[in-house]
Amino acid sequence: MRPVARSAIATGLVLLVSQSGATAEADQGAQLAATCASCHRLDGGGTGIPSIIGLGEERLTNALLAYRASESSNHIMHAIALSLSDEEIASVARYVAKQGSNPR
Amino acid sequence: MKSWTRREFGRLTGAALLTALNQPKARGQAKARVVVVGGGIGGATVAKYLASSATAVDVTLVEPRQSYTTCFFSNLYLAGLRPFESLGHGYEALARQYGITVIHESAAAIHPAAKTVALNNGSKLSYDRLVVAPGITFRDRALEGYDDAAMEIMPHAWNAGPQSKLLRRQLESMEDGGLFLIVVPPDPFRCPPAPYERASLVASYCQHSKPKAKILILDAKDKFNAQDVFQDAWNRHYPGMIEWLPAQFTGGVTAVDPKTRSVITAGATFKAAVTNVVPAQMAGRLAQQAGLTDQSGWCPVDPVTFESALQPGIHLVGDAIIGGDMPKSAFCANSQAKACAFAIAADLAGSARFPAHLFNTCYTYLAPDDAFSNAISFKPVDGKLKSVISFVSKVEESSEVRRQAARAAEGWYDAFTHDVFG
Repeated sequence: MRPVARSAIATGLVLLVSQSGATAEADQGAQLAATCASCHRLDGGGTGIPSIIGLGEERLTNALLAYRASESSNHIMHAIALSLSDEEIASVARYVAKQGSNPR
Repeated sequence: MKSWTRREFGRLTGAALLTALNQPKARGQAKARVVVVGGGIGGATVAKYLASSATAVDVTLVEPRQSYTTCFFSNLYLAGLRPFESLGHGYEALARQYGITVIHESAAAIHPAAKTVALNNGSKLSYDRLVVAPGITFRDRALEGYDDAAMEIMPHAWNAGPQSKLLRRQLESMEDGGLFLIVVPPDPFRCPPAPYERASLVASYCQHSKPKAKILILDAKDKFNAQDVFQDAWNRHYPGMIEWLPAQFTGGVTAVDPKTRSVITAGATFKAAVTNVVPAQMAGRLAQQAGLTDQSGWCPVDPVTFESALQPGIHLVGDAIIGGDMPKSAFCANSQAKACAFAIAADLAGSARFPAHLFNTCYTYLAPDDAFSNAISFKPVDGKLKSVISFVSKVEESSEVRRQAARAAEGWYDAFTHDVFG
């Protein structure tokens, strides 16, 4: 436990001292992913709504770009994707791609 | 060896930091105290997202009930398509996994100057920030004769729970050929498509169990959302069973008579076997008492932080708020709650705030295997929440698309309640 605690302090200090660009990006990703969680379980469970866990960053990005471009496949995802900028799509895809990647 | 989850690691980071530094954080107290009053969809979501944010916050959730019964999907219970128990969600995961202090008590009063909430058991909670999610209450004397006693005879079933069970019992014991009457209130009210979904699913139940039954809707409005989609489905699934009368036809409902289960309009009296009266609504009582409502009876808020426009330091989310195009739905409450939680967390930490994304998505059942959906996104514009993008299912959608939506709705319920209650 000791080494974990020590690295935790180190991580915490970085957070406390300055909000680095990477942290801010992760925060934005987390906030955007909260929107996904209203319909998609971020633990990868559930049925009826396609899972977004385990897809990888590129597939998620491409899917969001495709949903943004066309209403035809799903008007709910079209409305969601239309509200996202390129930067936001990149940020949420990166964040979601990291979720559930270490199954217990 | 134990594998560390992200959350445990995060908690340890916080605890270790406090021990290591042993000094107050940038803004006064070591840990800000946020009290959330109301454990419905909005309140539970705020509590969960604040408790799991990167900012160290002590979160207390005040909710008298031990478990929450969702209004959404309660029409499926009414039609016998879902057990009542499947609508119930406890607060154990929020307490255990997210470290939220859950107090099962009613809030008696809010004292904004002292920054305290008084509970019915006589205790007091101090807060740095307060979030109030009081839901709705019914307007007194909006409908002559509709009092607490009348609700036991002509149920509203607009707060899911005992009222839903009462209406279900009345529907089950109704004789074949009986009339099921739904009184729809004026806007705004909780879940705008729900009266028409209720009519659809009651018809679906009657089609099998009481094929000669009729459903009559007496509306306070002259039109309703997705009217073409509903009326197309009524003609396809239940020809001749559902009749909808707009206010311009009846002159509007003015009174009820519980003794005869009748509904009185300007021009006629309607007597039914089962009468479901949905009364006119306003923000929950605590919001009225705490001076959080304006003359409309609803709570005006800042559309970015959801801070009350009337009482600084108090935030509001969910059905109780007004200020734009967001309908009163569980999805909107959840969406507002996240925006509110992130805004409070950023403020407490003194960190940057990202633009919030606010949505409403809704699945509505027309029949057990026929559902339609809509999706709307909102943005703060000139102090109001404006609808910017809106899509809704069309009449000509294929039955396969509708079947898929009905299946997706089930999956949505599971994911959504997991998002709110853990």
